[in-house]
Amino acid sequence: MPLILVSCISGGTQSARGWPGTTVHDGIIYAGSTDGRVVAINSSTENLEWSYSMAPVTAPSSGLSCGQTSAPTAIYGTPLVDRDIVYIGTYSGQVLALNMLARSQNLTFPQQRYGEWNWDCPIDNAKSNAIVADLLLSEDAIYVSSSNGRVYSLDKEFGDLNWESKILDEKHRKLWTSPVIQGNTLYVSTYDGHIYALSLEMGELLDWYFESEAGFASSPVIDEDTIFLGSFDRYLYAVKIGSDLPMWKFPEEKQAGNWFWASPIVNEGIVYAGCLDGRVHAIEAKTGGKLWEFDAGSAIVSSPVLMDNLLIVTDESGTVYVFDLSAELEDEAAPLKTISIGADVRSSFCAQEGLVYIRGEDNWIYVVDIDRGTVSWKVSLTIEE
Amino acid sequence: MIEVWHLIIGNPVLNVLIALSHLLSGEFGLAIIALTIIVRLISWPLTKRQLNSTKALQDMQPKIQELQKKYDKNKQKLQQEMMKLYKEAGVNPLGCLWPMLVQFPIWIALYQSIMRALATTPENLLDLAHRLYSWDIVNQAIPLNSHFLWLDLGQPDPYLILAIIVGGTMWVQQKMTQAPAVDPRQASTSRMMLLMMPLMFGFLTLMFPSGLALYWAVSNIIGIITQYFVTGGWGYLKLGSPFSSTPVKGK
Repeated sequence: MPLILVSCISGGTQSARGWPGTTVHDGIIYAGSTDGRVVAINSSTENLEWSYSMAPVTAPSSGLSCGQTSAPTAIYGTPLVDRDIVYIGTYSGQVLALNMLARSQNLTFPQQRYGEWNWDCPIDNAKSNAIVADLLLSEDAIYVSSSNGRVYSLDKEFGDLNWESKILDEKHRKLWTSPVIQGNTLYVSTYDGHIYALSLEMGELLDWYFESEAGFASSPVIDEDTIFLGSFDRYLYAVKIGSDLPMWKFPEEKQAGNWFWASPIVNEGIVYAGCLDGRVHAIEAKTGGKLWEFDAGSAIVSSPVLMDNLLIVTDESGTVYVFDLSAELEDEAAPLKTISIGADVRSSFCAQEGLVYIRGEDNWIYVVDIDRGTVSWKVSLTIEE
Repeated sequence: MIEVWHLIIGNPVLNVLIALSHLLSGEFGLAIIALTIIVRLISWPLTKRQLNSTKALQDMQPKIQELQKKYDKNKQKLQQEMMKLYKEAGVNPLGCLWPMLVQFPIWIALYQSIMRALATTPENLLDLAHRLYSWDIVNQAIPLNSHFLWLDLGQPDPYLILAIIVGGTMWVQQKMTQAPAVDPRQASTSRMMLLMMPLMFGFLTLMFPSGLALYWAVSNIIGIITQYFVTGGWGYLKLGSPFSSTPVKGK
């Protein structure tokens, strides 16, 4: 009997709350919220422009509760804006395209296909087909990684299916990392330790693939002809496209203290990578040699962001670190500024014109002024009943 | 307090479970079975004590039944006489409970580890990162393959198969140790308990992740096997009381 009781207390259910990221476009902040909404906030007036609520997800109960349970649709990705449309993938397996003009003009919503429209493309409503990774936009298509192990290409205008790939990860099925495009090829990393190359046009597998003993934890990033990505074996990999062997693995000697969960970024031949052990590394892209590092003390879950000559990093405890890349940074680098927002951070964030836009785990958006080194303003994403 | 629990018991069990999964060709279902066996082996001295206590109580059943008949109308006297009997035989009627209680932390850790290791949501996977050791064998096994036979170990069994196995094995295990009562009311309660627990666990199997139900099933099967060999047979599973043909010796 005690086993049953403990089963109820300590994690019989494993809920997905989501950690949606933020993006800024034409003075509007777009973000997902943990109560299943996509929200647009005017960054000048700090007012809500519009919000779109997704239908809650109903699922058979797990654990000892009876009947069905209803929960807000979780969002893990960052909204993407292209022209007047906001695109986002949901944990309920849908891709939404929201017409932001329609919202601001109070037109009937949603409408389908023509006129002021939106669409939502139900790849599948089942949890097993959840979308966790960011969507990828090209000129005329959207690429979606799904938890059923496939990548989908959807028509950007109407959401029609262009193609679906074969199942890339038979073992785990979960494709929780975003694909990346170079030329006419789509590169996808998997939890079973592969990097696959797919034709952008038809989605078929190309000849080259890379295989590693451990699975890849982060989405791949491409610079020139090299793919950079983090692995569950606690190394950051650099893989030259076409090669069977990694160009380098970082750290060179002993593995890092945890996974490189967040995607690294590459700028002017330097890779900046945050690790769940709390360290930020600057690595020479060609050689894998360490340039400098910084210990934040708390896990780095979000990818770093560049703004002019500044590298901006947030750690899970909600501290924002600003590094001046034009300065001579030594082996153990010191940040130019350290700003605390007072809330945990797991989401992707963005930076523009001296301001950093971060969604905290408390479901508030914090706007950090880098020059002043303070939180300029903040807004709650939770609708008060 | 919770962190101490994870540091001492939770995380070691979790990492061993994941390492076992890697050693067993990435089959997490096999890892659950293997760890259940290992935990059973480690706790064998306690299990043996528990089974010996159970067997001693079984052996005393003819005398207990005789006392129950003799003092049917006088419950207080019956209790006194039974306590006297236990004392003379050197048996503590609660002796079979203590070893079981000592094992609970291990069972709880095993349950939590199964749930954590499967990391069915992104939050769980991120949480798992902070609980893993830097062993290569662990890192190469992550994330785990949650599919085993027809089961998704992170989800309840969609069929009744596992529920029937869990319920059935639990009934057998209970039936092996449950002595028939002479008192009709007690007998009715015993019969109900014999059915209720297996039914309840069978029902829970339909609601909890099948990884946990797999652990229950394996644990029950090991329990039946050890009980068979330690107590020297099927106990009360055989029709009627094993003591019914034994002449009852009065005091």
